[in-house]
Amino acid sequence: MSYLIEVIGDALAVIARFGRDFREVLWLTLWVGGVSTALSLLLGIPIGAWLGLTRSRWRRVWLTLVNTGMSLPPVLAGIVILIVIWDDGPLGALGLPFTVTAMIGAQTVLATPIAAGVTAGAIGGLPDGAREQIETLRLRWTGRATLAVREVWPGVLAAAIAAFGRVTSEVGAVLIVGGNIRGETRVLTTAIVQEARQARFGEALAFGIVLMAIALVINSTLTWAQTRGQR
Amino acid sequence: MGSADVHLVYPADGSIVDVDLELRPSETLVLYGPNGSGKSTILRLLAGTLGGGALLDAAYLPQTPHLFRGTVARNLALGLTVEETAHARQLLDDFGLGDLVGRHAAGLSGGQRQRVLLARTLAQRSAWVLLDEPLAAFDVADRMSTAAVIRRQLAERSAVVVTHEQDEAMMLADRVAVVIEGDIAQIGAPGAVFGMPADASVAAALGLANVFDGVVAVVEGALCGVDIDGARVWGVGAGKVGAPARVTFGAETVTLYSDAGASGGSARNWWVGTVEQLRPVGRLVEVVVTSGTLQVLAVVTPGAVDALDIAPGVVVTAAAKATAVRVLSA
Repeated sequence: MSYLIEVIGDALAVIARFGRDFREVLWLTLWVGGVSTALSLLLGIPIGAWLGLTRSRWRRVWLTLVNTGMSLPPVLAGIVILIVIWDDGPLGALGLPFTVTAMIGAQTVLATPIAAGVTAGAIGGLPDGAREQIETLRLRWTGRATLAVREVWPGVLAAAIAAFGRVTSEVGAVLIVGGNIRGETRVLTTAIVQEARQARFGEALAFGIVLMAIALVINSTLTWAQTRGQR
Repeated sequence: MGSADVHLVYPADGSIVDVDLELRPSETLVLYGPNGSGKSTILRLLAGTLGGGALLDAAYLPQTPHLFRGTVARNLALGLTVEETAHARQLLDDFGLGDLVGRHAAGLSGGQRQRVLLARTLAQRSAWVLLDEPLAAFDVADRMSTAAVIRRQLAERSAVVVTHEQDEAMMLADRVAVVIEGDIAQIGAPGAVFGMPADASVAAALGLANVFDGVVAVVEGALCGVDIDGARVWGVGAGKVGAPARVTFGAETVTLYSDAGASGGSARNWWVGTVEQLRPVGRLVEVVVTSGTLQVLAVVTPGAVDALDIAPGVVVTAAAKATAVRVLSA
């Protein structure tokens, strides 16, 4: 019991110190998580709108693929992306291995199916009267998609919450494509792994507490907006 | 724009809808039929909301009135040009809701939502107008005034309107198509269809619960006396003595008397019989009376059941005026 209290005390001391390493890790986590969430929404919402509205006979196939993508193991995504960007890979010339760009790319790949799947589910849940109007109003496809997305925006916020949760909590992909380089590609989750490996549990727990605090703040804000939208 | 002949099948095996329909320009065709008969499916096939693309360039009002987030003004303008939007606002004025344009759509009642959607749909200058149960959300008073605006707006336009109410069909239709089990059972002018149902299934769809087959025994001007297994039923129709005939009349046109010997009043048809069964039909009660070989259906209020002590086994007299009974060539 006393050991547990000691570890918690160490963790709180690390947070209170708020040293340079800590700040760098925190800032990079927010940057990578924010940018990859934004990119995943940018890609995923239109895909979800199409999936939610289309009457294509292939809709079920595409939905199955997107839903499978929602449970894509981060380590698998990480290794596949690393192969693609490796020196001898198709994108080898870009020099991306172990860079922040690679981390953003990997997390975007992980979060886009979530943004698309949750958006498609929200639009799929529109009442018949709304769907039929969207289909028959004299609007271009972009107008229809915008109308549908706007109608279900609390559901789209749920997509944002889920996407952000996915990118900030995963460790496998960023560890593999980013390399967990101190001061360059280390984020909260990889820092936790690093500290835990070295049995520095106070530091590891400190990063974990901050990670949870970020999740709490972001999710509280989005949930507040979501419940306002549902009224 | 000329007539369009469309063949509609849904789903692929035609188990829900399988119809050939002639759509005429500058005409309002009303699809009339009981709930679940497939008339909305026909409209959705024309509008293209069941997949396969729209068959017509049409403004479409779905059965369920849904307004999108935002103001009434935003909803009115969706998919419309500036001129059409101005027309939609004018129509909203005609519906008596002009002061709602700035209101948030979420605060509107079902009837108000329906009128906003009607204004937008009618304002769209498309070749066709497709309306699914446009008056279902209204009470009787609003239904009449809204129907008048719709009728005015559809004059000279090409439209297909779905309803399961006869009075709405009469108000709006140039032609009525009776839809039964996904097929057109009868099509024609409203007076002809409602006045002369083609067969027993159409008669049933029109609420004419009593249908009997017999032979014309007497013709007295517009009245025919038809013998049905020994019983004579008088009704209006053109028949020849000796010709087979079908007799139909609505259950609501039958009057019940607790006195087995009642015979006063102007009704030409009197049947003394025994109450076989009482069945609740919504807020009313359907009473089955057996008189000889005839089984007559009457609809009465629960209050009348109590007042007349109607119960299975009780002897009553059922009466129907000959003018309420239609005699059709079988």
